[in-house]
Amino acid sequence: MSVIQALSRTRQEVSPRRKGDGRWALFFLAPWFVGLVLVTAGPMGASLYLSFTDYDLLSPPEWVGLDNFTRMFADPRFLSSLGVTFTYVLVSVPLQLAAALGLALLLDKGLRGLALYRSVYYLPSLLGGSVAIAILWRQIFGADGLVNQVLGLFGVSGHGWVSHPDYALGTLMALNVWTFGAPMVIFLAGLRQIPQMYYEAAAIDGAGRWRQFRSITLPLLTPIVFFNLVLQLIEAFQSFTRAFVVSGGNGGPSDSTLLYTLYLYLKGFGSLDMGYASAMAWFLLLIIGGMTVVNFLASKYWVFYDD
Amino acid sequence: MSITGTARSPRRGRTRAVPAAGVAALALTLAACGGGDSGLGGGGDVAPPEAQDCPCEIRFAWWGSDTRHESTQQIIDAFEAENPDITVVPDFTDWDGYWDKLATSVAAGDTPDVITQEERYISDYATKNVLADMSELEIDTTKVDDAVLAGGQIDGAQYGIPTGINAYAMVADPEIFADAGVELPDDESWTWEDYVSTANAVAKGAGDGVWGTQDYGFNEAGLNVMARQRGEALFTPEGELGVSEETVADFFQVSLDLMAGGGQPDASRTVEYQAAGPEGGLLGTNQGAMGVWWTNQLGALSESSGHELELLRLPGESEGERTGMYYKPAMFYSVSADTEYPQAAAKFVDFLLNSQEAAEIMLTDRGLPANTEVREAILDDLSPTDQKVADFMADIEDEIVDTPPVPPHGSAELADIMERLNTDVLFERVTPEEAAAQFVQEVEAATAG
Repeated sequence: MSVIQALSRTRQEVSPRRKGDGRWALFFLAPWFVGLVLVTAGPMGASLYLSFTDYDLLSPPEWVGLDNFTRMFADPRFLSSLGVTFTYVLVSVPLQLAAALGLALLLDKGLRGLALYRSVYYLPSLLGGSVAIAILWRQIFGADGLVNQVLGLFGVSGHGWVSHPDYALGTLMALNVWTFGAPMVIFLAGLRQIPQMYYEAAAIDGAGRWRQFRSITLPLLTPIVFFNLVLQLIEAFQSFTRAFVVSGGNGGPSDSTLLYTLYLYLKGFGSLDMGYASAMAWFLLLIIGGMTVVNFLASKYWVFYDD
Repeated sequence: MSITGTARSPRRGRTRAVPAAGVAALALTLAACGGGDSGLGGGGDVAPPEAQDCPCEIRFAWWGSDTRHESTQQIIDAFEAENPDITVVPDFTDWDGYWDKLATSVAAGDTPDVITQEERYISDYATKNVLADMSELEIDTTKVDDAVLAGGQIDGAQYGIPTGINAYAMVADPEIFADAGVELPDDESWTWEDYVSTANAVAKGAGDGVWGTQDYGFNEAGLNVMARQRGEALFTPEGELGVSEETVADFFQVSLDLMAGGGQPDASRTVEYQAAGPEGGLLGTNQGAMGVWWTNQLGALSESSGHELELLRLPGESEGERTGMYYKPAMFYSVSADTEYPQAAAKFVDFLLNSQEAAEIMLTDRGLPANTEVREAILDDLSPTDQKVADFMADIEDEIVDTPPVPPHGSAELADIMERLNTDVLFERVTPEEAAAQFVQEVEAATAG
């Protein structure tokens, strides 16, 4: 039955009394709707408009057409922030998912106290985005921090990790990998969905652990891997807090941690170039949208749906 | 388009009024987000409203620490006691949040009446007509030195009145000099080369884990001093870059010489000390003998080091064709161009600037007071470190040639540019000459238009 048929059918069935209820429903929906328009859709519309203007917050925006977008590609810092962001996303997300899957497999073995382990490993996900952890990260990877003290025990003398342009982004990626809790919990749920009989049958046929993992677990888990991948990619592209705090707010040293959103913020509020920052925000939406489309297209070739 | 107009309509029943209210709320939201004049108008386009008489309420915005918030509240209380018809609403945040908040308030047409401003940002706000010309207001500035007052003028208009003054100076730790067996330099004659050799000697004498000096290349103020010593300046009065590539390259070269001679730590440590502020820097942690800081930071430095620190002139003051050190306005009091109560705002600024009572509460928290009369009067109330600052400022007064002009629109980006290029130089990713060329190009781009 088509949607239109469905709608016309409902309309016939609605009594005058029920019409009033519809209005009440609208009334009760109003807070959510006002919130959506005011807090999300409104500002989004405004930023779309601003992305075509020269706007410094202090004086009214001036229409400049596509100027902001063309400026972006002539801006070396913009291009370097794109490079930093793609490196960050493409390296840390696969590692994070691998860590999540690995631990999920371990925990799925039916350990005693599973709930406790699950919570413990989930904890970093709750804390990872916070300012406190980012500050802690600064300390751990500092010149006299924990990492170097441990390295010192083995006679290796390290340098400051956070403060060195070649390694600073690595510490941020480590932080992202460390927050593998959310995908891990989803993997765990996915593993529980796989019927035990497949493994029994495989065992009878003489398949070893690795063989079972490759031929049963992984194929049946691909929808979950796909789901996690899409989710974590989108999240990683929008990382802001950790780069902001670890770099002291400027993407340093030498722009090595200048993630896209951090540069967007610096442009908007530091240089008061809000038109440019809005254009960057919309371009990021295009990037994330594009990545997601590619993901969905590619999924045809590797994601296996049981039904 | 208002919510009341629809919803109050008496002919409509209760059930009808309900969705109407929902629709009206939606309409109201759309109106609020419609762009154009209300939401995104900015402050500059609105004609200044007619001046209103008091009783009235004005808002005062400032940034700072908890101690500043407390003392400022005391000053507000004292002002309100004297002027019962004026209420001053405090509006404060920390430094980082301050500029985000101020820019958004201005964009929303909700500019505070009295605004604390700073050198890097005042041009942006002044050229966008957010700030009033304070020479047209009733504020007594006769007790402020003309050269200092000029630090708040752009194109002949007084957009800000300096709250107080600081100087960029060398801070030295005599105890570490003594440990290293090196004598404190004579700051009236030392050159930039002496600076490098002194720091290297201290590092050699003091042993492992103690360095001669902390890297100075993150702050453009040092570059400005060096440029002025050579008859150049960071910015010309016309708002153009006034420093040559050669000077910028020499400025960065000093850091490399210090690193090569062991006088300052390796690059990644330097980046960490820089991020740690005065308390966590080399002087604050007794790991270094020297560092360049603003004079108002002497208190924080002395307290965390526990040593009695000394203020020295920057190197090269007698080396070049003139002296380069200067009084920097610590901050400015500015008044909104859109305030409904310019008289009340002026009265409050006058109180902050000239009242003995306010000065006694504020002391040197907003720099050594710009008003020389109240500065004299509070000298005895100052802590020993603040007295040292006051003495130092008095010592160099005769040597100071002039106050640098207000940096041009866009100079807020200078700090970022400087920090990035200095890091590049320290990690030897670019040579000082390459960094200098890039500096000139980037600063010109940032301050153009």
